[in-house]
Amino acid sequence: MNIQAAEAPATVATLVMSGISKSFGGVAALTDVSLEVRPGEVHALLGENGAGKSTLMNVATGTIRPDAGSMVFRGEPIDGIDPRDATRLGIAFVHQHPAVLPDMTVYENLLVALPPAVFAEAPSREEFARSLLARVNLRAHLSDRVETLSVAQKHLLEIAKAIAVKPALLVLDEPTAPLGEDAVRMLFRLVREFVAGGTSVVYITHRLAEVRELADRVTVLRDGRLRATAVVDEISDRELLALIVGRQLDSTFPPKHDGPDEAPNFIIEGLTGPGFKDVSLTARRGEIIGIAGVVGNGQSDLLRALAGLSHFEGSVSINGTQVTSKRLLGEAAYLPADRLSEGLMMRLTVRENAAISALERFRTGRLLNRKRELGMVGDTLGSLSVKAASLDAPVSSLSGGNQQKVMVGRALLSEPELVLADEPTQGVDVGARAEIYQILREVSASGIPVIVASSDAKELEGLCDTVIVMSRGHVVDVLRGDDLTEERMIHAAVSSTTSTVGVEDITDADVDERTAVRRAKIRRFVQGDYAPAVLLVAVMVLLGAFIFAQNDRYLGAFNISAMLLLVSALGFIAMGQTIALLTGGIDLSVGPLVGFLVVIGSFFILNESSTASILLGFAAMLGTSIVVGLVNGTLIRYVKFTAIAATLTVYIALQGMSFILRPTAGGYINADISRAITTKIGPIPVAFIVLVLVVVALEYALRRTPWGWRLRAAGSDEESARRVGVEINRTVVLAYVATSVLTFFGAIMLMTQIGVGDPAQGVAYTLSSITAVVLGGTSLLGGRGTFVGTLFGAMLLVQVLNATVFLRLDQMWQYILQGILILAAAILYAVARSKRRRRAARKV
Amino acid sequence: MTDDSTSRRLTSARFSVSKGLVTMAVSTVVLVILGFAIAPSSVSQGAVLGMLPFASVLAIVGLGQMLVVQQGGIDLSVPGAVSLAVVLSTHIPNQNDAMLVPAILAVYAWAIGAGVLNGFMVGRLGLNPIIATLGTNALLFGAVLGISGGIPRTTTRLLSSIAGGRTMGIPNALLIALVVLLLVTILVKRTVAGRRFEAVGASPAAARATGLRYRTHRGAAYVWAQLLFATAGIMLAGITNQPTAFQGNTYLLTSVAVVVLGGTSLLGGRGYPVATVVAALFLSQLDQFVLALGVPFAVRTLVQAAALAIGVAIYTVDWAALRRRLVARSDAATATP
Repeated sequence: MNIQAAEAPATVATLVMSGISKSFGGVAALTDVSLEVRPGEVHALLGENGAGKSTLMNVATGTIRPDAGSMVFRGEPIDGIDPRDATRLGIAFVHQHPAVLPDMTVYENLLVALPPAVFAEAPSREEFARSLLARVNLRAHLSDRVETLSVAQKHLLEIAKAIAVKPALLVLDEPTAPLGEDAVRMLFRLVREFVAGGTSVVYITHRLAEVRELADRVTVLRDGRLRATAVVDEISDRELLALIVGRQLDSTFPPKHDGPDEAPNFIIEGLTGPGFKDVSLTARRGEIIGIAGVVGNGQSDLLRALAGLSHFEGSVSINGTQVTSKRLLGEAAYLPADRLSEGLMMRLTVRENAAISALERFRTGRLLNRKRELGMVGDTLGSLSVKAASLDAPVSSLSGGNQQKVMVGRALLSEPELVLADEPTQGVDVGARAEIYQILREVSASGIPVIVASSDAKELEGLCDTVIVMSRGHVVDVLRGDDLTEERMIHAAVSSTTSTVGVEDITDADVDERTAVRRAKIRRFVQGDYAPAVLLVAVMVLLGAFIFAQNDRYLGAFNISAMLLLVSALGFIAMGQTIALLTGGIDLSVGPLVGFLVVIGSFFILNESSTASILLGFAAMLGTSIVVGLVNGTLIRYVKFTAIAATLTVYIALQGMSFILRPTAGGYINADISRAITTKIGPIPVAFIVLVLVVVALEYALRRTPWGWRLRAAGSDEESARRVGVEINRTVVLAYVATSVLTFFGAIMLMTQIGVGDPAQGVAYTLSSITAVVLGGTSLLGGRGTFVGTLFGAMLLVQVLNATVFLRLDQMWQYILQGILILAAAILYAVARSKRRRRAARKV
Repeated sequence: MTDDSTSRRLTSARFSVSKGLVTMAVSTVVLVILGFAIAPSSVSQGAVLGMLPFASVLAIVGLGQMLVVQQGGIDLSVPGAVSLAVVLSTHIPNQNDAMLVPAILAVYAWAIGAGVLNGFMVGRLGLNPIIATLGTNALLFGAVLGISGGIPRTTTRLLSSIAGGRTMGIPNALLIALVVLLLVTILVKRTVAGRRFEAVGASPAAARATGLRYRTHRGAAYVWAQLLFATAGIMLAGITNQPTAFQGNTYLLTSVAVVVLGGTSLLGGRGYPVATVVAALFLSQLDQFVLALGVPFAVRTLVQAAALAIGVAIYTVDWAALRRRLVARSDAATATP
C-alpha cells in the first residue's frame, strides 16, 4: 500500500474531514475516514458500490450527521451543519438523482432553486438563465417543461444549478453516468474552468479513465474505510485497482457447477431494450449466470425485460423454446432489488406474500384450499428456514435476510421457468447469505436457469459459473472459468469507455431546433398550462352562439349580469380550490365553509345592524376562514392525515356548526350591503371585475413570485422541492389558509344571493368548485394549473347550467351536461398528458 | 401435504383480528353501555330495530366504498348510484310486484354499466378517481331525473316486505348485509382473483413486478362497488316507504367515514370488511345515542366529525415515531444553542 503522507498545504484547505465515522442501524458505513480537499484541485473519490463515497459527501454537505469526527471548511469548523448552511457556505452537491421539479419550466426550476442574489449581476434574469444553460450546453428552451426533458438534460440542469452559485466546493456524484459523449466532454471542460478559478471539486466515480483525465489527487475507499490518498500521476492503474478490490468476504459459497457439458438450456441473442443493447449470453443446465457492473449500467433493465416487464427485441430461449415477453411475465420469477417498494407487499403477511404467485395451485373448485396453501407455503418456507413469528406476521416485521427468503419462497412456489434475482443479498446478514447462495444453486441444479445481478463482484466470483460485465448498457466482457475473478470484473467495469445507450437526443435536439422552431413553439403552447383555457373559451363561444341562435334574450343585460354574479361566487371558491389542488391536495371543506360563513354573517350583517356590527361580522367571517385553513393545513402536514380525510372531517364539523348556530334559516342580510356588493357597471357586476382582477393578480403571483414557485414546487415533487430549499410544511399550510380566505370572498357573494343565513346552503360548492378547477386544466396530481383556466371553467359551468334554462331543457340535462363536461375534460387532458409523458420516456 | 410439523414450522391462525375491528367493536360496546346508563331510549327494542335496517344499508355501501378505497381510489358516485337504484326499483314496478324482478335486473345492469365506466376511466385511462366518479355521479343523477322526473313513487309491497321485514325477529336487511359481508369476505380472501385484488391494493408496484394485471384489478373494484351500491339502493327502496329521488345523498360522506373508521387507509392497502360493517353499526348507533340525549341534530354531526378525526388519528398517526421525534427534538433543542 502506498499511502502518501499529506504534504503541508500551501494555503488553507477547502475542506478537511478528519476521523469521520457513521453507522446505520449497527452497520458501519464509514469508519475513521479522513479527507482533505485543497483549493483548486479535482479530488477523485474512488471505490466500489457501497464503499461509502456518497455517504462521506452527504456528511460533508450536512445531509447526514456523523457519529464521530470533525470537519473544517476554509479554516472554520463546520460540525453540525445542515444542507442549507452548506449551500450558504458555498458547497454545492450534484446528486445522482437530480432534484428537479417536473411540472415547472426550466426557467422556473432555476428561479425556485437559486438565491435571488445570483441573478442580480446579469442585465436580466432570463438572460442569466439562458447563459447558464449555454454554459452547460443544455439545449432546452427556458419555457420547456422539465418533465419533457431527457434524463441527461435533467442532469445538465442540475449541474447548471450547482455552478450558478459559484461554489467554493463542488461535489459531483457520478455525473457522467447518464450523459452522452458530448455532454461528458462539456462537463470536463466546465470542471477544468472551475478549478482554474479556484473552486475545489470532489468527483465521485467508478471509472479510472475519468480519474486519469480529470483528477489531481485520488482517495480510495473500501468498506467504509480509507484505503489511500494519492497524487493521480504517481499511481498506476494496477495499484489503484488493488486498492479498490480485495474486500474481505465473510460468507461461504456452495461448490460451483461441475456436471457434464450438456447443450445450453438458456440462450439470449442480440437482446436490445430500454437501457441495454445487444446482449447475448448462453448457459448450460446447472450454471448460474452473473451480471456484473457498476449499479445503474443496465443490469436491472435487462432483468426487468427478461421478467416481461418491459419490451425487448432479440430472442430468448429456455430449454430450446423461444419465449415471448408475455410468457416471461407469467413464467419468470423476478426478485427485484428494491424489496421495500417492489419486491414484497410490505403490509401483507408472510403467507400472503409467499403464496401470491402460486394461487392457482392451491385451488380446489372455485375456492382456495386453506389447508393446501398452508401446507405448501409452510413446507417451502420451512425448507428455506425462514424465521418469522408466524405465517400471519406482516412481512415488514422480518429481517432483510428472511424477507429475501420469502421472495425466494414465492419464486419456488410459482414453479418458474426462469429465476431472476437482482441484488439478492443486499441488506442480508452473513448467515442468510450463505443459505440464499445454496438455494440458488439448488434451483439452478434442478434445471431452471438462474440469473443474478449484483454490484458485489466478490459475490459473483464466488457464486456464478459465467458472468457478463455491463457498462452503460453494453456487455463489455464475458468471463468464465479461471477468468471469473473480482479483479477482472472490476477492471472491465471501471476501465470501460463506452457511452450510454440511447441518450443521443442531445444532438437530436440540435436538428429539431433548426428545422422546426415554429413547431416547437406550438408544441410548447399545447404542452403549456394555458391550452385548456383557450379550449374553454372556444367551447363557451360556440355554446353561447348556439343558445343565442335559439333565444336572443340570452345575451340580454339581465341574463349576463345574473350569470356573472353566479360566476363571482363560484369563481372565488374555485380559485381557493385551485390553490389546494396545486399543492397536490384537495379541500373538500370549501362548500360547508362558505355556508358556515354566511351563517356567521347572518348574525352581524342585518338590516338593523350598526356599522360596527357589520364590520365585526366581516372580520368574524374572515377570522373563521383563516382558522379553518389553519386546521386543514395542520391536520394534513403535522398530523399526517390525507387531504381527503382531513378536509372531510372539517367538512362534517362545519356542517354541524352551521346547524348549531342556525337550526333553521334566519337572519336577513342587510339589503344596503347586498346592493353595494352587487353594484353593476352596465351589465357587468363590480364583483365580477374584482374577481377578474384577483385572478390576474393570483396568476401573476403564481408565475412570477417566489410564493407561486414554492407552491407549485411543493405540489410537483415534495422531495425535490425540499432539496432545493422549499419549506414544505409552511407552504402547504399557508396554501390551505389562502384557500379558505378566497372561500370567504365567495361567501360574501353567496350571502347577497341567498340573502339569509341558511345552514343547508353552500355544500354543493365543494363539488362544483372541483369541477370548475378540473375543467380549467389544473392537475389533481399537483404542481400545475392556472387561475385563468379555473375562471373559464367556472364560467363554462355556470353557462351550461344557464343554457338548460334557455334551451328549455329539464333538470336532467343540467346533470348530464355537467357529467359529460367534466368527463370529457378529464379524459382529454389525461390522454394529452400521457402522450406527452410517453414522448418524454422515449427520449430516455 | 402431510402433517409433519417440525418445531420451527410456521403456523397460521385461523382468524385474525384487525386493529380497526377491535377499535370499532370496543367503541360500539361502550356506546351501548353508555346508552343503558344515560340514554336508555337509544337501546330500546324499537330504536334498535329501527336503526338496524339503515345501518345495514350503510354497511353495504361502506363495503363497496372499501373495495375502491383499498385500491387507493375513492368513489364519489355513491349518491347517484344509490339514488338510481332506489328510483329504478320503485318506478319500474310502480307498485306492481310482478315487475320487481325486471326492475332489479335493470338496477344491476345500470350498476355494471356505471362500474365499467368508472373502472375503465380509472384503471385503463389512469384518470384521477375523484374526477372520474364525480362525472359519473352527475350522469347517474341525470338518469335518476330522466326516469323519475324527480317525483317519488311508493315502494311495491313485495320489496317492502323483503327489505323492511323481519325473520325470527331479526330485520331482513341485517341478514342481507351479513350475507353480503360473507360474500365479500369469501371473494376477497378465498378466491384467486380476490387474493390478487388484495395484493394489488397492498402494493401496486410489487404486484406489477410479480406479473399481476394490476390495472384490471384496480378497475374491477369500481364494478364491484357499483354492484354493492345497487344492492344497498334496492334495500333502501324497500325500507323507505316513499323514497325521494335524492335518497343516496347522505351516503357519500358516511360511506367514506365507515371505511376510514374500519381501519382501511385512504392511501390504499388492505381492506377490513368486518370492521367496516361494525363501523357502520357504530356510526348508526352513535346517531341513535345522540338523538336519545335530546341534543339538536347539529351536535350529531359534530360528534360524527370528532369520531372520524379520532378514528383517522388512531390509524394514521405513527404514535411511536411521534414520541421519538418529540424526544429527539427536545434533545436537539438542548444540544444546539
